[in-house]
Amino acid sequence: MHDLWTMMEKEFAELRGNRRFLWVFLFAVLAMGVLPSLTFAHHHGQLGAMGTIFLVLYVLFATVIVVANTAPDLVLHERVGHTLDYLLTTRLSDRAIFGAKVATAAIVGYMAAMLAIAVQLVAAAFLSGSGLHWLFLGQPGGRIIAFGVTAGLSLYVAVIGTFVALRVGEQRAAYMVTILSVGLLVVPFLAGWLHLSLTTVWIGHAAEWLGIIALGLGAIGLRLFRRDMLVLYLQE
Amino acid sequence: MEQAAIECRGVARRFGTRTAVSDLDLTVPRGGVFGFLGPNGAGKTTTVRMLVGMLRPSAGTIRVLGHDPLTDGEWVRGHSGVMLDNVGLYDRLSAWQNLLFAARVAKLSASEGSQRMETVLRRVELWDRRFDRVSGFSKGMRQKLGLARALIAEPDLLILDEPTAGLDPANIVMVRELLVSLAGDSGHSIFLCTHLLAEAQRICDQVAIIQNGRILAVGDPNRLGGQGMPTVRLTLTGVNAEDLAHIAIPLHVELRRVEGRDWRAVVATDEDTEQLVAALVNAGVGVRAVIPEDVSLEEEYLRLVGGEDHA
Repeated sequence: MHDLWTMMEKEFAELRGNRRFLWVFLFAVLAMGVLPSLTFAHHHGQLGAMGTIFLVLYVLFATVIVVANTAPDLVLHERVGHTLDYLLTTRLSDRAIFGAKVATAAIVGYMAAMLAIAVQLVAAAFLSGSGLHWLFLGQPGGRIIAFGVTAGLSLYVAVIGTFVALRVGEQRAAYMVTILSVGLLVVPFLAGWLHLSLTTVWIGHAAEWLGIIALGLGAIGLRLFRRDMLVLYLQE
Repeated sequence: MEQAAIECRGVARRFGTRTAVSDLDLTVPRGGVFGFLGPNGAGKTTTVRMLVGMLRPSAGTIRVLGHDPLTDGEWVRGHSGVMLDNVGLYDRLSAWQNLLFAARVAKLSASEGSQRMETVLRRVELWDRRFDRVSGFSKGMRQKLGLARALIAEPDLLILDEPTAGLDPANIVMVRELLVSLAGDSGHSIFLCTHLLAEAQRICDQVAIIQNGRILAVGDPNRLGGQGMPTVRLTLTGVNAEDLAHIAIPLHVELRRVEGRDWRAVVATDEDTEQLVAALVNAGVGVRAVIPEDVSLEEEYLRLVGGEDHA
């Protein structure tokens, strides 16, 4: 745990000095925070239960935007600056190095989502005079998506983004593949293997399964990862 | 018997059809500075990466401080300070933050870490710039900070790849003195990859020259030219390499051209020198000068990796 914390401290210190990350984070929080409130106000608060719950998608967008940018960048910045070579010469384990990157990206994605919700509440209060009750937070399903699915999605995108960036050495390509992985989540629904439901129980299970899949992918990634193979990728 | 700092036996590393390192046999004793010399692409960096377990050898065995870097990688890396040719510093962090991270990785306590950070930063003369972001550092400052980071945990073994690259002469002297004091007073083992041959000759106790992944010579940098035997420099006129070969071979003396009319002979004794000079004079060769010498490492290096006329 000491090594994981040490790495995470370093990652957060680096993010604080990363202007590009700060802009993406700020944009995601403000845009995804204000837009749903504007939408709601435009419809004079008459979206209905289904319409209201779809506003939570903005929170998920905020998560995806931030994590899909951050996770590959945490790895690619180290590749370009040769600090990944340095890390590999230290006593840090592979699990600490890449576990910290996944955890950091997932945490900032979740933070972006929570801050976007806070902005939504403030904007909603200004636009309609009330907050909590007329947004999706007033419904159990909405709350599970906002706090549960967001967490699972953060972790899922962080895992994919980190391990894709280890193999794909270019920022744009890594970002595209990471975004594509989010699109893949829709495939089971389009193929008819799963049926979308907005019941509280279904959404709860979806959040759990997303988290389990993310953890499983992370475990497989670390299992397949070989320190001595990474050097070969870095040489490419 | 004390274990060697580094021991490689029959180590090879292939990348597809290309062989980066071949049949590497190397023993680096504990304490002192061991120079690892070779041109670009000779296999130095690949060797360093195998030493710290970043690369798996295709063949052979490696022991670093008595441990296998592949199976005991964490132990080996925990007891080694490594500075690669690309120093790899965190540009978005300050010098202090870079070292703080290294100190935490080395599991130093907060007080011990602060003390060590101050010591190494003062040693490389970066104490006044400790809170500056590394992105604003010159190449030389980055090199010095990389060296400071490698030293932070006072490792048993230092593996340094071109630590003086990009440094001005004053800083080269500073780093040289630092390495000598680390190897001498503190008893560290230093594995030094360098292109600066004069520097290697001055501070290394032993050197190995590698080219195309193969070790060409190992030994005392001041005696490497004659592989431990004295040499004389001869200025000769009226002679060619073929004639000299006929004269030198029966005497079991190796003669090679240094430049122009100057030749170098590896001789076992003063009697050999006298016999050689007598044979040359008898053959009608003009012997203008006979000067006993120590061959510079640079000359020997160039001979080994570049080639000279042999007689």
